[in-house]
Amino acid sequence: MLNSVGRQQRRVVVTGIGAVTPAGWGVEPFTQAILSGRTTIGGFTRVDHAAHRTHIAGEVPPEPPALRRVRGWRRLSNTDRFAVGSALEASLQAGLAWPLADSDAAVFFASSTGGLFETERFVHALIDAAGTTAPRGLLASYSLSSPAEAIARRLGATAAVETVSSACAASALAIEQALRAIRSGEVEVAFTGGSDCLCVTTYAGFNSLRAVDERPCRPFRVDRAGLSLGEGAGVLVLESLDHAVARGAAPLAELMGAGSSCDAGHMTAPNPDGSWAAEAMRRALADAGLDSSAIDFLNAHGTATPLNDAAEAAAIRLVFGDRARALPVEATKGVVGHLLGAAGAVEAVATIVSLGAGTLHPTPEGGPVDDALGVDVVLGQPRTSSALRTAMSANLGFGGANAALVFRRWSES
Amino acid sequence: MVNEVELRQELKALIVQTLRFEGLTADRLADDTPLFGEGLGLDSVDALELVVALEKAYGITIRSHEVDKSVFTSVDSLGKFVARTLVAASPGSAVNAQ
Repeated sequence: MLNSVGRQQRRVVVTGIGAVTPAGWGVEPFTQAILSGRTTIGGFTRVDHAAHRTHIAGEVPPEPPALRRVRGWRRLSNTDRFAVGSALEASLQAGLAWPLADSDAAVFFASSTGGLFETERFVHALIDAAGTTAPRGLLASYSLSSPAEAIARRLGATAAVETVSSACAASALAIEQALRAIRSGEVEVAFTGGSDCLCVTTYAGFNSLRAVDERPCRPFRVDRAGLSLGEGAGVLVLESLDHAVARGAAPLAELMGAGSSCDAGHMTAPNPDGSWAAEAMRRALADAGLDSSAIDFLNAHGTATPLNDAAEAAAIRLVFGDRARALPVEATKGVVGHLLGAAGAVEAVATIVSLGAGTLHPTPEGGPVDDALGVDVVLGQPRTSSALRTAMSANLGFGGANAALVFRRWSES
Repeated sequence: MVNEVELRQELKALIVQTLRFEGLTADRLADDTPLFGEGLGLDSVDALELVVALEKAYGITIRSHEVDKSVFTSVDSLGKFVARTLVAASPGSAVNAQ
């Protein structure tokens, strides 16, 4: 394809997807959950929330026993485990055997918390037992880069292995990095996405900000009252189209373009006029060589905080103009919660699944849509359309980090 | 005098209690089961945990530059090391008298 300045560039396709979400381990339970019209957000036990204002989250169930036989599994943090579980699923679908024979495989991965859950447990033990019996192994995978490294070790990915940690846009930004590395010819294959585990720091932090709803979150609804936290991971296998064709892999979708920006404004609040979020969307469209009219639906960030949804709706109006009210919008967080550094990747998986099935997934019912936002959010029931060809997935993070990705359903032409 | 049979039993219980990972039980631990690699599969973090637990349980000090890695080969080798260290540190021993 030609880019916005008319240069021929390498096409990049998705050949595998993996997900670990509160719905379970795998894309299949995730797909069933997002199509069900029901939320997976509810009571949880990962952290002690007795002292907090809210008592719900999206919690990942225990891993399938077979994964516990993966070498080094017990040394991995939960965040690492979600990442490795998703990466193994994605590589199986892509038909890539491990260790990867292709030494050009890279990992561009995101996390907001890394092994923070285990670090918190270590510090608790240190205080409770005066240090003598605190299990030091809990610190083995504390770092934010640990999920990317765990994937690289497991799969034998020996090209660039890099970590992005820009809040809730992190995994969309990691996917953008992977796209650019493949386009430039630096690598042929990249494992990309993000992973995060619930922990006291994020649960208490978002509660302190009064950003958490006491009920499961209700994106774009008139009485929305905040987000719900979740945990999990999403992984995409991206590769150059030439590489995929040469090895006989079947693409699921094409990653047409990506764009990013920063509000450079507030630590937590988005710019209310949505101008920089809109700029990220426009950059993604320009990168894809497409006009906004080509977008058939948007998978929104849709956290269900009053401020996010208003700013995002403003951005949608800026980019899509008169079409804004008619553009179907998916809000995945209503089903699984906000997966922080994994949100962009899991929502990219939802976008690819929707394109493949020709079906938009609903966000669960829960009060009327906020008409002032002018957003056509898919509610309650899936919406099937034969015309779903191209979609955008958007993420707006704390610190004003914005990212947008454009995917197209794969067809031979 | 240290009863090495009892000491090995104590060490097995200590290893299980300290490392607490799935599938690790005292009956999986014969005196000569290799603790690392293909045996029990312990790693360097486990070794660190064990050193801390041994120091606490027996009131001994284990300096890494003085201890050969072979000490951690098995419960048997670990038992011999702990017995030797305890004897050396006990009142009236030749080492202590110097």
